[in-house]
Amino acid sequence: MREWLARLADWVRRDRLERELTDELRFHQQQLERDALHAGVSAGEAPWTARRRLGNTTTVTENARERWSLPSLDQFQQDVRYALRGLRRSPGFTATAIVTLALGIGANAAMFGVVDRLMFRPYAYLKDPQSVHRVYLRSTFRGDERIFSTFEYTRFLDLQKHTTSFSRYAAFSGTSMAIGIGDASREHRIAMVSGTLWDFFDARPALGRFFTPAEDSTPRGAEVAVLGHAYWQSEFGGRDVRGERLQVGHILTTIIGVAPEGFSGVSDREPPAVYIPITLYAGSNPAASDRANYFTRYQWGWMDMMVRRKANVTMQQASADMNQAYRRSWEIEGEIEPPLTPLAVANPRAEVAAMKVAAGPDPGLEARTALWLTGVAAIVLLIACANVANLFLARALRRQRETAVRLALGVSRGRLMRQTLTESVLLSLLGSAAGLLVAQWGGTGMRRLLITTQGASLDVMTDWRTLGVVIGIALVAGVLTGLAPAATSGRGDLAKSLKAGAREGTYHRSRLRVALLVTQGALSVVLLVGAGLFVKSLNNVRGMRMGYDAEGALFVSRNLRGTTLDSAQLVQLRRELVTAGQAIPGIAHVAMVSSIPFWSTSTTNLYVAGIDSVTRLGSFTYQTATADFFGAMGTRILRGRGFTDADREGAPRVAVVSQGMAGVLWPGQNAIGQCMRVGSDTIPCTTVVGIAEDIVQRQNQLADARRFHYYLPSDQFRPQRGDYLIVRVPGNASAQQEPVRKALQAKMPGQSYVTVRPLMDIVEGSQRSWQLGATLFVAFGLLALAVAAIGLYGVIAYNVTQRMHELGVRVALGAQRPDILRLVVGQSARFALAGVTVGCALALVASRWVQPLLFQQSATDPGIYVAVSAIMVVVALGASMSPALRAARADPNSALRSE
Amino acid sequence: MTPSSKRDLLPGMLDMLVLKTLTVQSMHGYGIAQHLQRISQEVIRVEEGSLYPALQRMRQKGWIKAEWRQTPNNQRARYYTITADGRRQLGEQEDGFAQLLAAVKRVMRPA
Repeated sequence: MREWLARLADWVRRDRLERELTDELRFHQQQLERDALHAGVSAGEAPWTARRRLGNTTTVTENARERWSLPSLDQFQQDVRYALRGLRRSPGFTATAIVTLALGIGANAAMFGVVDRLMFRPYAYLKDPQSVHRVYLRSTFRGDERIFSTFEYTRFLDLQKHTTSFSRYAAFSGTSMAIGIGDASREHRIAMVSGTLWDFFDARPALGRFFTPAEDSTPRGAEVAVLGHAYWQSEFGGRDVRGERLQVGHILTTIIGVAPEGFSGVSDREPPAVYIPITLYAGSNPAASDRANYFTRYQWGWMDMMVRRKANVTMQQASADMNQAYRRSWEIEGEIEPPLTPLAVANPRAEVAAMKVAAGPDPGLEARTALWLTGVAAIVLLIACANVANLFLARALRRQRETAVRLALGVSRGRLMRQTLTESVLLSLLGSAAGLLVAQWGGTGMRRLLITTQGASLDVMTDWRTLGVVIGIALVAGVLTGLAPAATSGRGDLAKSLKAGAREGTYHRSRLRVALLVTQGALSVVLLVGAGLFVKSLNNVRGMRMGYDAEGALFVSRNLRGTTLDSAQLVQLRRELVTAGQAIPGIAHVAMVSSIPFWSTSTTNLYVAGIDSVTRLGSFTYQTATADFFGAMGTRILRGRGFTDADREGAPRVAVVSQGMAGVLWPGQNAIGQCMRVGSDTIPCTTVVGIAEDIVQRQNQLADARRFHYYLPSDQFRPQRGDYLIVRVPGNASAQQEPVRKALQAKMPGQSYVTVRPLMDIVEGSQRSWQLGATLFVAFGLLALAVAAIGLYGVIAYNVTQRMHELGVRVALGAQRPDILRLVVGQSARFALAGVTVGCALALVASRWVQPLLFQQSATDPGIYVAVSAIMVVVALGASMSPALRAARADPNSALRSE
Repeated sequence: MTPSSKRDLLPGMLDMLVLKTLTVQSMHGYGIAQHLQRISQEVIRVEEGSLYPALQRMRQKGWIKAEWRQTPNNQRARYYTITADGRRQLGEQEDGFAQLLAAVKRVMRPA
């Protein structure tokens, strides 16, 4: 091996070595000359004596040269030169092939970049990533098994205490909080992590130190902060910040260090700006009960857990260990907080698996869609390869005479094959260089779609993982495209090709080329069907009535940040904010609420006469709202009434329930006037006064019809709650964002602040997997169609050129223009129909797997199949039109004259 | 030196002799040839035609290193130095050669 490396190194500097050898031999000869003179040979004779002694220097040089020549490498170099010459000579072919491959490879590079970040790429600086795992828990709740990785700090302590398979444990969580004070404050990503987290990594602080486990202790950790490197650079210009004070949300911290460049902990989003001890965050929770109980009770699930498996422990053993610990923890919880589903029913289980949630046991719709799209990108590449292979074949046929001559002159067929492969690999390398540009450009768009929260820049040019994969893809693509032409190169009757002379061969039907063409068409059909399915899914989910009008609504969240207000003050602030909102010109509806769809929901105990356990019927979520809620949200009251200002504290307790809830609690009865008890079965009745339409407020409710929801007036139920404001604005919601923020911010006491966002942002987030699927399937589908059309055109045009003579003869024998047109277009149509048939069959087979990704859309929708087939045929006819017209102009004279 | 006194080397022996020579000190090609001739009392004459290719081969195998230096007479010459790998190789070859020699002697012993 080392010898071969040395030989390779010598091959690279073979010119220098040869010069050196010449020098060396000259020195040797000089020495011999001197010897001869010493021995008494005359000065005139000495050089000759020396030369005789030295022997044949040419042989020496040649023998030595063999040591540093690598014949295969020399040949390879020749092949590359030959290939480059060939590519330069047919720029049209080269450009088409490069563009086709660039699209195919670019699509794959971009998809790889995304999927790699989502699922595989280990976190920077992480030591031995194979043994680091995230802990996932499962439990069955009302018949549904849920998988989750976010749980309580107390649970984390339990799992740590009752397992032995792990050498390290850390808890982590992330959030966005305002850093800084007053107008200078900006929202940034904050990582809350255990003091043990740093030991998972091989990272030294760029400045100062990391916080220690001692500084991360219950009930409240030390007020210290470690800055992220990028944040340190952008906000502090990289100066020594140790000892400076930093306001992080409502916590005042002291900076003790800076994380190294590129470090982002185990964050899957943008790199955190600041790291703080996780117990500092929990112990500073504004809610007093959470602050006091987070490490002893099981009510606040908010963090994830990572572990390092001991070296001698297998994954199965580690999961089993974690499993028994979880069951123990469940029992402990049952003792502290009695109303918990029994162990046998809940069947709690735990496992350790991939750190990346997308590669874990419950990857989510988005990750699964991304994986599908990777497959789609691979198909686009296959189509591109088929296309380029076809172009190669066409060119090989055109060059048949040249090939025949070379064979006749003694080039071996193996050499010919190697040359073809060299050419195709070279082409695909050029294509991948262009493809990287495509990926760079397309990846930006893709990141916006898919990993808006993944932050980390998708710069394919400087990312060696992506570059490596692209080069790998390019080599595979090169071999794939070169295989068919290489296999056919130099086949066929040499003598015939040589004799064919001026009229280069006759019309060749190549079954291989037809097969490639049909494959391209079929794969395009598959992708277009997928595009149709996802576009219709997206339309379905967009067209669905969510139970509110997200468009035109802003939601306002407030952060008190250290300003402590008692209940009365909170109620007062809420009133002031609602009044201030209503005072903004043009604003009709403002309401304070306790939860926001897709953001948060609340549940409490519910008792209804005649029903043993309400919770057994499903999950009932509540919303506390001020009077104008239904106007602000756009949720329609179907029967009865909404809330008024009269529904205040002391007035009879009232509620509005969703239609679905009314139907399940009081089937066949009029829900209005019914009594339910909220929170406890001893407090007075809350009377149902209205029935509202069902709303979708969780991702799974998009598909699930069980939407049980009820509304309580803020003044009557937990009046201090209600962290959010819903503001209905006229016209474009995002344009109103700033005026609304300004008006409301004026009412906020101390350092507290409000954040205003369009409600649509959140609602659209819930539709992202379909949006992603629709956009990329359409993009890839059109790409595939374009590539297939180019391929079809190329083949038909080539065939027409080859058949020009024959067509001329046909015209001479009386064929009319329509006959010739029909001949050419008919051939194209036959290809298209074959592609459509195969493609539809493939799509039907794949439909089973794609079905779960769709939204209220059958994967075998005949409408889509018919439409796609029609598109394919039309495109095929269009692609053959120009060659067909050229064929129709076939000149009988020239055909006959050349005979 | 007459042609009859010249003995052909067995294949592989040249490497061993060159390596052995270089254990004395670093030498250039001419020096190696001279040294072998002198030590073997003119029995062994190394053909330049096989010496230089052999030197290239051994350099690629990592047994010897080559560098340009000034000779005592202020001429530029390429000096070869034996490496640790080369010494290991030499040891192996010497052992092999000794065994071969012993075997040959046993065969040639008068019956």
